[in-house]
Amino acid sequence: MSDDGLHFLVNVTGAGYHRAAWLDPGVAPGSFIDVDYYQGVAETAERGLFDALLLPDIPQQNAGIATAPTQSLEPTLLCAALAVTTERVGFVPTLSTSFNRPYNLARRVLSLDHASNGRVGWNVVTTAAPGAAANFGQEVLAREDRYRRAAEFVHLANRLWDGWEDGALVGDQESGEFADPAKIHPAAHHGEFFAVEGPLNVPRSPQGRPVIVQAGASDPGIRFAATAAEVVYGAQLSLPGAVEFGREIRAMAAAHSRDPGQIRFLPALVPVVAPTEQEAEERWEQLQSRLPPGPTVAARLEAALWLRPGILGGDVDSPLAPEIFTRSLALHEGFPRAAARFAAETGYSAREFARHISGGHRLVIGSAQQVADHIEEWWRAGAVDGFTIAPPALAHDLQSFVDLVVPELQRRGIYRDRYPGRTLRANLGLPVPANTFAPFAALADTAK
Amino acid sequence: MPEHPRQLHVNVNILQAGVFGGSWRFPGTDPLSCYRLDHYLRVARKAEAALLDAVFLADGAAIRDNIRYRPTSSLEPTIVLTAIARVTERIGLIGTLSSSFNDPFNVARRLATLDQLSGGRAGWNVVTTADAASARNFGLDQAVEHGLRYEVAAEFVEVVRALWRSWEPDALVADRERGVFADTSKIHAIDHGGAHFAVAGPLNVPRSPQGEPVIVQAGASSDGRALAARVGEVIFTAADTRAAAQEYYLDVKSRAAAFGRRPDEIVILPGLSTVVGSTDAEVRQRRELLSELVHPRYAIGRLAGQLGLAEETLALDRPLPFDLLPEPEQAAGARTFYGIVVEAARREQLTVRQLLHRLGGGMGHRIVAGRPEQIADTMIDWVDHGAADGFNVLPDVLPEGFDDFADQVIPELQRRGRFRTGYEGTTLRQHLGLREPDYVRPGVEAGSGAVDE
Repeated sequence: MSDDGLHFLVNVTGAGYHRAAWLDPGVAPGSFIDVDYYQGVAETAERGLFDALLLPDIPQQNAGIATAPTQSLEPTLLCAALAVTTERVGFVPTLSTSFNRPYNLARRVLSLDHASNGRVGWNVVTTAAPGAAANFGQEVLAREDRYRRAAEFVHLANRLWDGWEDGALVGDQESGEFADPAKIHPAAHHGEFFAVEGPLNVPRSPQGRPVIVQAGASDPGIRFAATAAEVVYGAQLSLPGAVEFGREIRAMAAAHSRDPGQIRFLPALVPVVAPTEQEAEERWEQLQSRLPPGPTVAARLEAALWLRPGILGGDVDSPLAPEIFTRSLALHEGFPRAAARFAAETGYSAREFARHISGGHRLVIGSAQQVADHIEEWWRAGAVDGFTIAPPALAHDLQSFVDLVVPELQRRGIYRDRYPGRTLRANLGLPVPANTFAPFAALADTAK
Repeated sequence: MPEHPRQLHVNVNILQAGVFGGSWRFPGTDPLSCYRLDHYLRVARKAEAALLDAVFLADGAAIRDNIRYRPTSSLEPTIVLTAIARVTERIGLIGTLSSSFNDPFNVARRLATLDQLSGGRAGWNVVTTADAASARNFGLDQAVEHGLRYEVAAEFVEVVRALWRSWEPDALVADRERGVFADTSKIHAIDHGGAHFAVAGPLNVPRSPQGEPVIVQAGASSDGRALAARVGEVIFTAADTRAAAQEYYLDVKSRAAAFGRRPDEIVILPGLSTVVGSTDAEVRQRRELLSELVHPRYAIGRLAGQLGLAEETLALDRPLPFDLLPEPEQAAGARTFYGIVVEAARREQLTVRQLLHRLGGGMGHRIVAGRPEQIADTMIDWVDHGAADGFNVLPDVLPEGFDDFADQVIPELQRRGRFRTGYEGTTLRQHLGLREPDYVRPGVEAGSGAVDE
């Protein structure tokens, strides 16, 4: 739990986290490729003092496009468009370490960071989808290899981002000295996966470096997050699970000589909020009713919980056996583990489960007080630094959250009433990292 | 004057603080502007107010040692262009992306995204990237051989264009009643398997508002001309005499005919470095100052590098050491530049100092220094003599030198009925008079008339 109160990201994907979000009245079909639609989302997030927009991504045409919008616009470009018309909210595009080249990725993210005056992070994913790999003439690497590649990639990106020391840019019109090459350092990287000489052709970021964000779901993912990530948003369904995960990742970070206080843990939360509990319930029912009807209630629940068809045997009211999730069809690797734990802790039936879990994340339906209670409880337990809000229908439900829950959290004194800084790092309460090539420069500045 | 005089097409190349090696030192200029987004937004807004066809961003994937004396490539072009798209409504947005150091899926997607976000104003300048410093940023020891680079580029463009045709124009259905969002029978894999790339597709971006982004190409070598003639819709070329420009113009348009393309499907825009002044004396003064501001160490180093010579073989007041010059094929830099420089030095028996003055850090593009009427004269002269369809203007100083161009030269062209007085279209294709390509399913030969089934 950070001292500076709660932090929020918002998950920005298609029409929202719910598959039927695009059927919400007022959502134009072309919204998913309309910058003005995303602009509205960014403005709402900024009004709610969110740290950043998190844009999930995969370089592939998802087959789900048949029934709902999928990721389309390339996220660094969408962020560039939104950065021009916002001032404080940050941007965290998702970029794959499997299907990008380090020089290009580091340069593009750093360019975006300059274009936004230091409001950018990078959500690091390794991308396990064979369909994405096929767009790059590749096959998916084994998980361990993917994460080894990711670790090397991020290490290299950090080196490239540090290539220009403060003071490297001279711009002395009188003498004709534009830059001081002695303060511009090549990465000179020769690793297992990459050979990149560097330096980048872009100076260091206004916030030192872009912020590294990671989901940390599988075992190698958690290890990677502990060594490299500054914001972690892994899937956590229960409070004890979140406490344990947060403790584990901070302990691992400390074991890697990192300050555990410099990690922000922001697990996903799907809020359905309305002025009253009953209206919130009605809102959820309304969203659910727009999903295509399954042949049976059990089939619909199996689909919603990523269970194998028929595994419930038609029984939706008995407590779920935790083992049922070990053969989950979920794509994210942390879900089966978290779901089994949640089943064991709660004894929920499939029917009850589906009122607390949506799309693999924790779902909370209720009034502003109820949703704020849930958030405050997790935060006070020291489990989290905040949440990555995944609004079911992006525009509508983010607005409800900002209009109803944010003021409630502010009243309780656990959420800020203004942005503390101008950069993403400053708003997250993360320090500007020392430059790898000039580790003592910051100290010298302080001494002055 | 003919009844309907030919209209010129004009782009502005936002090249850091200006095209000359010393532009960043010009009085009143922000030396570090190339690292600030506002710089690009300002020039782009001015370009749109002046009704230009497009802004153009060159690019490279490395810094050179000469960063000591002048800015080089900086912010990534598609990021900058997307930001520009947000503050403009009509101006075209052309960005340079290398076919040697990118993956086709990512390039196709970023350009398709820029095209969506700008309402159909994107163009892609395809370059093959000749320098070793860039190659070393992508795991190679040296640049890929010239012929192979162009072979890869041709396949790269083919894959990108196929990806842009993944979505049929009416694939987005959004039928709320049936809960159908897109008709997946109208979203096609491309299943490309070629000598250099294997890409399955489909692209996850719907078809562009202008059909497809515009393909821009800049090659002048034989391989470059062949690629330009086959796929280029806008050709950005370097020519310092009208005769050379005419030869190029005729050659590329004839080569294009051999690919079944009409001459008006290709818009040829030579680079034009401009120095605008209101009197002859002011022009001369400005031109001289720009030459003086180029750091001599930079100028010599750069020239030596481009010609494949050691720096110490060049002395300011002696001619080029012609006997030491490598064959064009062995020269390190782009061949286009090499040819122009050596030819000019021989023809006019220039000393190194004179040659540097002529180049002025001008990247080998033609420099015109003059009053607005003179600049308009020479632009029109080239267009009327089959040397150009317009120009890619590289102002001497940004933003100030471009302001003068926009405020003085453009109105002069308009007075003579040679430049638009209002945008007629909304897309880059429309500005350039380029047809929107018919939808052709990936895998089906364009122009075969077969669409679906």
